[in-house]
Amino acid sequence: MKKQRFEFFVGLFMAIGILCLAFLSIRIARNELFAAGGYEVQAVFTNCNGLRNGSAIMIAGVEVGRVKTITLEDYEAKVTLMLQRGVALQKDAIASIRTKGLIGEKYVEITPGAADQMVPPGGMLHGTEPAMDLEGLISKFVQGNLSTTKPSNP
Amino acid sequence: MKRITAISLLFAAFASAALAASPLEEVKATTEKVILLLKDPKLQGDEKKNERRQVVRTEMEKRFAWEESARACLGRHWLKRTPAEKAEFVKLFSEFLKDTYSDKVATYYGDLDKVDYQGEKIQDDYASVKLVLKTKAKLEHPLEYRMEKTSDAWKVFDVIIEGVSMVKNYRDQFDAIIAKSSYEGLIKEIKAKQPLNP
Repeated sequence: MKKQRFEFFVGLFMAIGILCLAFLSIRIARNELFAAGGYEVQAVFTNCNGLRNGSAIMIAGVEVGRVKTITLEDYEAKVTLMLQRGVALQKDAIASIRTKGLIGEKYVEITPGAADQMVPPGGMLHGTEPAMDLEGLISKFVQGNLSTTKPSNP
Repeated sequence: MKRITAISLLFAAFASAALAASPLEEVKATTEKVILLLKDPKLQGDEKKNERRQVVRTEMEKRFAWEESARACLGRHWLKRTPAEKAEFVKLFSEFLKDTYSDKVATYYGDLDKVDYQGEKIQDDYASVKLVLKTKAKLEHPLEYRMEKTSDAWKVFDVIIEGVSMVKNYRDQFDAIIAKSSYEGLIKEIKAKQPLNP
């Protein structure tokens, strides 16, 4: 009888351990299992290079949500943002894709606006700024320098 | 019943006439007009710089939704201002923007070879129009106008050049200035940047 009870507790302990492991792995994979409720907002970016599902959404450096999905729509990136309940976005808020540090991971930064109307759940945030194409800009700058100096120094 | 239909049809006709031009058409008309006006032989040369600038200013004045743009640039600080301060800010901001952009456009559009209109996208009361400016030096600069439907026409409230939003740029800068000094400090700085048109 005593032995049976002992085995039961060992089993129970193991079961709890496995459950904790499953919970943790789901949390880490960011498919929030028991996520605190929130709402979705769509935003279209011309380029979302480096952004992925689960990337952070920040306002003033405070995390207020995560990227839920990224899909291609009309050759542009349509990003679904999952925002925490209680974080309201004005219609003229702007979402930009930024980098943590110089070569860190990408996140969505939102700068709040001043419009009276708010973006409703499932609505669209129109103000977006794409991910910066640093290499493209550098090459353009270099090229631009060469070709614009030509006419002035014939 | 018939009369009601006739009246409503008439109203619909008026409404559509008022908003006849699509965002792309509006942008195209203004851009082509500015390019044409800047090519005027009477406006060439360094001494005519101010006249060229004036051409751009006049067209900008008509095509921008100044209040929306100014409000968006000031961001959340807008909400703390009185109606009189808001009106003053819109006026100051529009002058500031016209100064900054007319200078750039007047110089830059002279080097322009071709403008590629890539199309428009309309959603609710917002639209985005994309174009690529091609210079004679074979450089391509992507440009995007973000527009809003106002009572009389589609108007620009944000310009995105090479992926950098004008509103976002100024919102960050204004925010930093206000955080460092105050709203009055910001007004002073903007005023100081306007030597051309006091």
